[in-house]
Amino acid sequence: MLTLALILFPALTACLLLLTNSGTTRQLAFGAALIETALAIYAFSTFTPNATSQFGFDYPWIPSLGIRLSAGIDGISLLLTLLTGILVPLIVLSTFNRAYERPGTFYALMLFMQSALMGVFTARDGFLFYFFFEAALIPIYFLAAMWGGANRIPVTFKFFIYTIFGSLFMLLALVYLYYQTPATTGSAHSSAIVDFYKLKLSASAQGWVFWAFFIAFAIKMPVFPFHTWQPDTYVESPTPATMLLAGIMLKMGIYGLIRFILPVTPIGIETWGQTAIILSVIGIVYGSIIAIRQRDMKRLIAYSSFSHVGLMAAGVFSQTETGLQGALIQMLAHGVNVVGLFFVADVIYSRTDTRQLDQLGGITRTTPKLTVYFMIIMLGSVALPLTNGFIGEFLLLHGVYSYNHYLGLAAGFTIIFGAVYLLRMFQKAMFGPTTARTESFADLTLSESWVFVPLVVLVFWMGVYPQTFMKMTEPAVANLMKYIGTTAISMK
Amino acid sequence: MFPIVLLSVFAVVLLFLGFLKSRSVLLPATLLFLVAALVANFLDWNKTYLYFNSMLRTDNLSMVFTAIVLLSSFLVVALSGSFEDDEAAQPAEYYAIILFSLVGAIMMIGYENLVMLFVGVEILSVAMYILTGSDKRNLRSNEAALKYFLMGAFATGIMLFGMALLYGASGSFTLAGIASYASHAQQGLSLIFYVGLLMLLVGLLFKVSAAPFHFWTPDVYDGAPTIFTAYMSTVVKTAGFAALLHLLAASFTYVYSFWGIILAVVTAITLIAGNVTAVYQNSFKRMMAYSSISHAGYLLIGLAALSAQSRQAIVFYSLAYSIATISAFGVLMLVTRQRGMQTLSSNPLSNESFDAFNGLAKQNPLLGLAMATSMLSLAGIPLTAGFWGKFYMFSTAVERGQIWLLVVAVLMSAVGIYYYFRVIIAMYFRDGATEPIRISPVFRYVLVAAIILTIGLGVAPGLLQGLF
Amino acid sequence: MLSDFGTLLLFILAAFAFIALVLFGARFLRPDRPNIEKNSTYESGEEPVGNANIQFNIRFYVVALVFVLFDVELVFLFPWATVFGQARLIEATGGRWGWFALTEVILFVVVLALGLAYVWAKGYLDWVKPQPKLPTVETKVPMDLYKQVNERFK
Repeated sequence: MLTLALILFPALTACLLLLTNSGTTRQLAFGAALIETALAIYAFSTFTPNATSQFGFDYPWIPSLGIRLSAGIDGISLLLTLLTGILVPLIVLSTFNRAYERPGTFYALMLFMQSALMGVFTARDGFLFYFFFEAALIPIYFLAAMWGGANRIPVTFKFFIYTIFGSLFMLLALVYLYYQTPATTGSAHSSAIVDFYKLKLSASAQGWVFWAFFIAFAIKMPVFPFHTWQPDTYVESPTPATMLLAGIMLKMGIYGLIRFILPVTPIGIETWGQTAIILSVIGIVYGSIIAIRQRDMKRLIAYSSFSHVGLMAAGVFSQTETGLQGALIQMLAHGVNVVGLFFVADVIYSRTDTRQLDQLGGITRTTPKLTVYFMIIMLGSVALPLTNGFIGEFLLLHGVYSYNHYLGLAAGFTIIFGAVYLLRMFQKAMFGPTTARTESFADLTLSESWVFVPLVVLVFWMGVYPQTFMKMTEPAVANLMKYIGTTAISMK
Repeated sequence: MFPIVLLSVFAVVLLFLGFLKSRSVLLPATLLFLVAALVANFLDWNKTYLYFNSMLRTDNLSMVFTAIVLLSSFLVVALSGSFEDDEAAQPAEYYAIILFSLVGAIMMIGYENLVMLFVGVEILSVAMYILTGSDKRNLRSNEAALKYFLMGAFATGIMLFGMALLYGASGSFTLAGIASYASHAQQGLSLIFYVGLLMLLVGLLFKVSAAPFHFWTPDVYDGAPTIFTAYMSTVVKTAGFAALLHLLAASFTYVYSFWGIILAVVTAITLIAGNVTAVYQNSFKRMMAYSSISHAGYLLIGLAALSAQSRQAIVFYSLAYSIATISAFGVLMLVTRQRGMQTLSSNPLSNESFDAFNGLAKQNPLLGLAMATSMLSLAGIPLTAGFWGKFYMFSTAVERGQIWLLVVAVLMSAVGIYYYFRVIIAMYFRDGATEPIRISPVFRYVLVAAIILTIGLGVAPGLLQGLF
Repeated sequence: MLSDFGTLLLFILAAFAFIALVLFGARFLRPDRPNIEKNSTYESGEEPVGNANIQFNIRFYVVALVFVLFDVELVFLFPWATVFGQARLIEATGGRWGWFALTEVILFVVVLALGLAYVWAKGYLDWVKPQPKLPTVETKVPMDLYKQVNERFK
């Protein structure tokens, strides 16, 4: 039932927000998001660390087809529901210094988005998953296209077409899997994800299903060469939408990899996994190199995110327990970091009206608070030990390395390059002589600080004591490895 | 069965109501008649009857299709607003023709005998020819009516010839008789039988505007008054698909190997022709015409992969499609009426272009929402009924293993999103004339009902479960 | 053996043969003395004038339509009349058959009569010459002012 509350509560409050259109809308939205956070934290703290799905609900949806409204939280979902729960109020809070046109719609869309994301991360039915997967797209599309920058219409449209095109293939794969399932009581087939796990598909069928899923998730994450929508969309979207996209929504892709591709098509991965992992590693290196050349802060962060996601995908495809574990932790860490970085860019943009690095500089002189927070989050992204990025990236690299030494080595560039472009960004923006735009740079306001504080706390918490999070996911990951292991053995 | 009798009587009554001085009684009367027919339709629920020496049949499926047709025409009639702004209009005759044409549609849904099918098709088509040309002083409307009539008559001829050949081969006009003849498929059937089936299919595919028999559609949809375009694209299509489904499922399952592949190819051509051409349209109405062709393609998937699932798929799809289409045309009518007042001198065509929707949602949130919902539904995005329609269709194809057809359909859905979203982009993200448009209460109710139905069916598709 | 289609073909052939036979027979039997009157289109004496491809007044069609309707009605009534009085059917149904058949045909005729009434009431049967529409000018100047002006400058 807790899951139902997690999914429905934001949607219901969003419906209420649609009716309001005053100055207090944002407070209401923030309050609602905080309640959701409380729910997510409550779920996290009462979660029993084992492989079962908890707090779930299960109702018939289309009884004749055996499709059910079924959702619950297991170890893999848990971290992502927590991430969604924590980030959304911070994103709402980050808008407090901006007045958006038609705030009722704006915040309602954000909460709708949260609802859909919660649904994606908790769905236990294949079609329910698809339903939320697509439903998440609509609010973010409207957010980006209504409040975005000058070039928003073509850019967001490209984003929309791209992602929906990919997910249509996923729909095909889901329908195909559905028809392979054996009869259950009351209907000919079943669309429960666990029933998909039990399928023993032929190698060629697994290959097709693998690609159908992979294209959908690869576009969402995005993995090279499906990434061309991403930088423009991140830049043109309003910053809250960018945070949602980069912080939470791209995790849908990785979550999909873990939830579907790994257990359902193990032979498909045997055959095509190497291609996928190479694409991911190309993305890592390619994204990093392009990020080094960027002048626009937001675009730089976009490429850095692209590169980091490549590492997560590579870790998942390495099919090792450490790689999976790392991907789960890194999803959480990356969400925290990237939201922080985008918020820094937004803070700077709101004061200087520019995101171009060569027009910035010397901000540190007037802004002790911003400097400290920015540095901590930046170091977290660089994966310095004792910060959150380190744990995830270490595990991921370990996973990739044990899959293939050379690929592991190539993926290792992500840390080096990451340090290069992030430190360069920090240095260009914060140090050096002040420019005309940064001369009267005011330090963080109270609400802005309160966005950073939880993020910074999380950076350290996950860096120093990751066990809080790891122990929740371990049984689920081990359980998942069982599917991969058994089929891999049975193939031999 | 009851609806046929009732509607015939009501239509005659309506004709005579037209002699009254006041036009205001016509709209409520028609709506009342439609509701009465809808209620009467369900009197036979859960029973199967044959009427008129086994000429017509009512069962749950036919009643559901009849209900969809009646509901669509209810919405369309409600949107017609008594034609109050057009002095030359003859609302009584229009409404009567609509009711008469519904009789034809219901015959097409419930026929058991090819003769009944023919009579139904003709009643419906003749009514449509008249309605298409009802804007007498408009050249485009005249052209459309003539084109529709000539091509339609030709198609009917082919269809009739097909029926005659089927009769020649099987010695029967009844579906059961033809089925029993076709059941000897192993011993080899007469060539005449196959030719007859093909010609019959061609005739019906013309009526539902499947490619390559679709060339009349854009001109006719474009030329006809918008309200009748809405009627045509929903009721005719639903009835046509009900007829096709009944025909193929009742008589020709034994020769599936013959027509299955033909229909699959027609489906693929229809999907490609409809969707790709729609991308290049600048007029919203023309785009909707091509979109209706493409939806004929999606509906055909269910036929090409005929299985037990197909009924459910086609019922759901036609319902979702009808509601979305009607509400889209409803918004179009309001917008063109408004823009028409502002720019009387300018080219009337521009009132129906995508630009006419620029900035619509800012001042008219209801219109924007209605249009956006219906576009999303037509594009098949989750949360709307259209998604489940597509889902059911795709499932039937997967069940038959027609993966190549599915890949075409999926690619074309992506293309479809492109042109449907042009409207949404124009409404929400572009700036344009943003005066609030006056919406009459009836319009408001219809649009709200369409939104609720579309989203309701999108969230809980199981609601229709009991109907099959 | 002949199939059903073969019988049909024979029937068609026989029809052609019959027509050919009759026409040729007549050709041999009749006297052949043409003159101008006999060769004209209408032997009644009406002279055809001008091209036949001209636009007819649309009212002809309305009248023709109504005429065809009632013509067809008659065609339907004849077979009905033969069934209506069949003693066998009346006995088999205990007399109800007659009432049933009568009601049916009355319904049929009533529907057609309603159609006629509608056409009548709509005025499609009135064959009046078109009233010439005089152009009217909307003006605030009263008519007698014009008259005065006309009088003065007569």
